[in-house]
Amino acid sequence: MRYADKWRAIAAATGPADRAAAEEGVRLAYGAAGLPAPDRIIWADSPLAGVNAVRALEAPGRSVRDDVRTRPWADERRRVHDELGPGGWTALWTGTGALLWDGTRALAERIRTGVVDALLEKAPDDAAGRAGEESRIRGVLLDAVLGQHDAAWLAAFDGRSDRLTGLARVAEHAGWWWPFEKAVVICERPLRLHRDEAGRLDNGDGPALVFPDGFALYAWRGMPVPAEFLRELTALTPERIRDEENAELRRVMLEYYGYDRYLAESGAQPVHRDETGILWRIALADDEDVVMVEVVNSTPEPDGSHRTYWLRVPPTTRTAREGVAWTFGMHADVYEPAVQT
Amino acid sequence: MYRQGDVLIVSVAEHAVPPHVTDAPGEPRDARGRMVLALGEVTGHAHAVTGPGRLVREPGPFGPMLLHLPEGGRVVHEEHAAIPLPKGWYRVVRQREYLPGAVRIVAD
Repeated sequence: MRYADKWRAIAAATGPADRAAAEEGVRLAYGAAGLPAPDRIIWADSPLAGVNAVRALEAPGRSVRDDVRTRPWADERRRVHDELGPGGWTALWTGTGALLWDGTRALAERIRTGVVDALLEKAPDDAAGRAGEESRIRGVLLDAVLGQHDAAWLAAFDGRSDRLTGLARVAEHAGWWWPFEKAVVICERPLRLHRDEAGRLDNGDGPALVFPDGFALYAWRGMPVPAEFLRELTALTPERIRDEENAELRRVMLEYYGYDRYLAESGAQPVHRDETGILWRIALADDEDVVMVEVVNSTPEPDGSHRTYWLRVPPTTRTAREGVAWTFGMHADVYEPAVQT
Repeated sequence: MYRQGDVLIVSVAEHAVPPHVTDAPGEPRDARGRMVLALGEVTGHAHAVTGPGRLVREPGPFGPMLLHLPEGGRVVHEEHAAIPLPKGWYRVVRQREYLPGAVRIVAD
């Protein structure tokens, strides 16, 4: 777990790269792969700028990603696996990489999608031209070493492998990078990263992820949203929410606006009430009803008040107890906590 | 059955625990030596159990996690009151939320 905490912080690190340390890491990684250090190291302000820089490289030689990253990892994984045995390897991975895997993989994939979308804005209008351009951009993105977003793998090998020291050093100090025989393109880290408690990209007041050159991703509780949509959120009305035709965006609007406020202002009536909470239903045009249980946190806040919150449940739910039980995967008749805090 | 925020801890009869689980290796403990039932990715706040015992990841009807407390224990969290747990086996369930076409985990 100690390595997991360290690498969780590295994966989420923001602010300027330590360029000298990262470049030293690059040279160490090349050395460990038996390659001479690259002649040129080019810095880019975001993965978007990185893709452009890679495409503009003149005579960089072949990609050495396999030599520098993939092969050393595979070899080290095999070595540690043999050393620990299958059970030991599983235990190691469970306590390190597995804890970070989903979060960093999802973040990296969101960045890839954002880069592709941004670059395709300038692509030709015809479908074949766009498809060709997209596949070329994705090809460049696939050649990246993910730096800080390789945290999950690197956590598993921390303290166990000298051979991966260079890769780890780059990851601790910089973002994505592209190794070629004669040149390296390496990216700055984000300036800001906002996530919710579950680790999903989340910001209602601006970009959830922004790099120094302005390349940014907007998201609300993990759901990608357009920048202009967020600007509109502060001026929402119940009518505007009802009129939104895109069901996903309407869901975001409801969450931002607050179910409680929407319930109050739209005159919704509780459907059912019992000792577990209150069941509410909002009918929406051309979409399934929103059915929610309103529950009160048992532990008082520091000021003595009890926090009320809403959880959406399946539209077939008929009672509050049935709804709360569903949130824990149980039937209403067996849900009976002896103690709740 | 005990509930601390978005985590439900359900007592399981010892004879109902699958035999391979009783010998399975436990999840690693955190830096403070606790068994972490659920961790908040950003705040680092955790539903965690102190004391002797084991937390076993187990897919299937008893999963995703089974908790064994041979001497009992306490489940703690930065924002919730602690709950004492008698000795025995427990199934740990995370709260979920309905989304049309999907289900997502709740994190408090």
